[in-house]
Amino acid sequence: MQRLCRVSRWAWPLLLMAMLGGCATYSASRPALEASLAAGQYEQALKQLAEHPGPERDRVLHLLDRAMLQRLAGDYGASNASFEEAKRIIDEFSTISATETSASFLINDATTTYVGEPFEQALLHAYAALNYLDLGDDEAARVEALQVDLTLQSLAEDDEGPLARDPFARYLAGIIYERRGEWSDALISYRMAYEGYKAHARLYPIAVPSALKEDLLRLTARVGLMDEHRRFREEFGVPNWQDPGLQNGELVVLLHNGLAPIKREERAVLVPPRVPQVVSIALPRYEPRPGVVSGARVLVDGREVRTEIVEDVTAIAQHTLSGRMPAITARALARAVTKFKITESARKEDKAAGLISNVAGLLTERADTRSWLTLPAEIQLARLRLPAGDHQVCMELLSPAGGVVETHEFAISVAKDSQTVLSRHWIPSLSSRRTP
Amino acid sequence: MSLSLSAKRAAVIALVALIGLAGCSTKVSRIETDEVRDLSGKWNDTDSRLVSEEMIGQMLEGAWVNNHVRRHGNLPTVIVGTVKNLSHEHVNVNTFVADIERAVINSGRVEFVASRDERGEIREERKDMDVHASEATRKAMGQEIGADYMLTGSINTIVDKEGKTAVRYYQVDMNLISLTDNRKAWVGQKKIKKVVEKPGMRF
Repeated sequence: MQRLCRVSRWAWPLLLMAMLGGCATYSASRPALEASLAAGQYEQALKQLAEHPGPERDRVLHLLDRAMLQRLAGDYGASNASFEEAKRIIDEFSTISATETSASFLINDATTTYVGEPFEQALLHAYAALNYLDLGDDEAARVEALQVDLTLQSLAEDDEGPLARDPFARYLAGIIYERRGEWSDALISYRMAYEGYKAHARLYPIAVPSALKEDLLRLTARVGLMDEHRRFREEFGVPNWQDPGLQNGELVVLLHNGLAPIKREERAVLVPPRVPQVVSIALPRYEPRPGVVSGARVLVDGREVRTEIVEDVTAIAQHTLSGRMPAITARALARAVTKFKITESARKEDKAAGLISNVAGLLTERADTRSWLTLPAEIQLARLRLPAGDHQVCMELLSPAGGVVETHEFAISVAKDSQTVLSRHWIPSLSSRRTP
Repeated sequence: MSLSLSAKRAAVIALVALIGLAGCSTKVSRIETDEVRDLSGKWNDTDSRLVSEEMIGQMLEGAWVNNHVRRHGNLPTVIVGTVKNLSHEHVNVNTFVADIERAVINSGRVEFVASRDERGEIREERKDMDVHASEATRKAMGQEIGADYMLTGSINTIVDKEGKTAVRYYQVDMNLISLTDNRKAWVGQKKIKKVVEKPGMRF
């Protein structure tokens, strides 16, 4: 009987260690994939991702990464299939789990099923919509625009605050409605995007994009909401605004710039007085990934526009995490206390068991560093009215110093009253990330 | 003694692993196509079937067929246009459109002509016949039947959500529009409403 008790005392730290699997945190576990991504070898990166599917609880992240890599590789259909699967899991696992919650109090936060932060869920729909636009399926893109609305509504219900009002997802929804000629739906989305930018501006510096201001003025005039139109003219300081006319086509350029910040683990180790035990607390912290370009200059027919920031993923991610920190810290402290108590009771019975329990507690205390790492650091946009016909578009990516880093040429054909969307992803090389 | 103990342990581990694996194998059971299986609350085969059944009934009972026969002395010819998906889900509209087409053709009271997507291939084949088929079996160009009506439609949804409960409302509208004079000869509608309740907690 005595022997059996001893075994069970030894069993729990061993069990914990077994559950832990690899000791590396999520964000530290994929240098090879990062290298392929930075080198622009998306097929290779997809292969590496498939080789390391990770645990089932990180399935959503795996799918989001896969979808983004498939998009980068130009396989938009497959990318949307991955997004659809991720949506299904998010839908299924968004309810709180009893066992996972207790595990997060006992082992660590990374034991829960990952369902994505609000901005990740909003951007999932945004990128799925962009995939459909690239496939030329406007109707399916509109479905994603409607899903953005449902997702953001339910996040607002969950009291996610201003961060749930993702401005870019709303803005893109508006663009999709407008290209289908659904002016009132477009206007509603543009208004929500505008409110979103204003709400976000209270947390971090972001300006309402001038393209959006132009859209609000154009659509309020078109729908005939003249009171609102006059109010926008006053707010935007353009009393003499003129409608550029409907006869022309339009070019929308999107620059997906850099890579989203990465979560790193920060660890504090304490040695309580008079007890032969070590207590550790690990917390996540976002680290921006350098190497972004400052923007793009778009040259068409001798005209020139600069892209503007429409979504600052880095800032949104950091504010999302800081909003979660009190709860994360509270859980980490509760865990430290639980582990401390278990170790103490084990140590009183048997010194070796106490030691093993302590080591297991230390090893299992890992920060939850999971996040969608293939997202860009920011999204920039430019809208440009063009006469119908063939055009040569030149897109110059600019370094922070103002020099041209990369030039892309596109030949586009703009039809009357239609819109062409061009997307360009800029992923910095590893060397540029080391020397910001 | 110690050896037999570890052997016992190995047996227990193997047994546990076996039980674990058994749970992983795929299980397939066949069910009737009209059996209702609602899993996620999203648009599924049952919705598609309900829409096609309702539309077929409404279309064949409608006065438009008899009106057409009385006025023109021949059976009406219909071409399938686009059914717009304006819902919040990626709905495959082809399933119920094909159902409607099949049932209406088989009723023998309405004729369908190939839709825009289908006829391209037929025309290719006819062009090919011109060169390769024998004189007696060759089908001439310019003998296609022009449709009298076009079948168009849309799916719209309204979703109302509060906490864990959501009401999903689908409305499918279909029209037969006369290609001669834009008159709407027939309008069909099917409404579906579902309440989806999610558990507050999972295991």
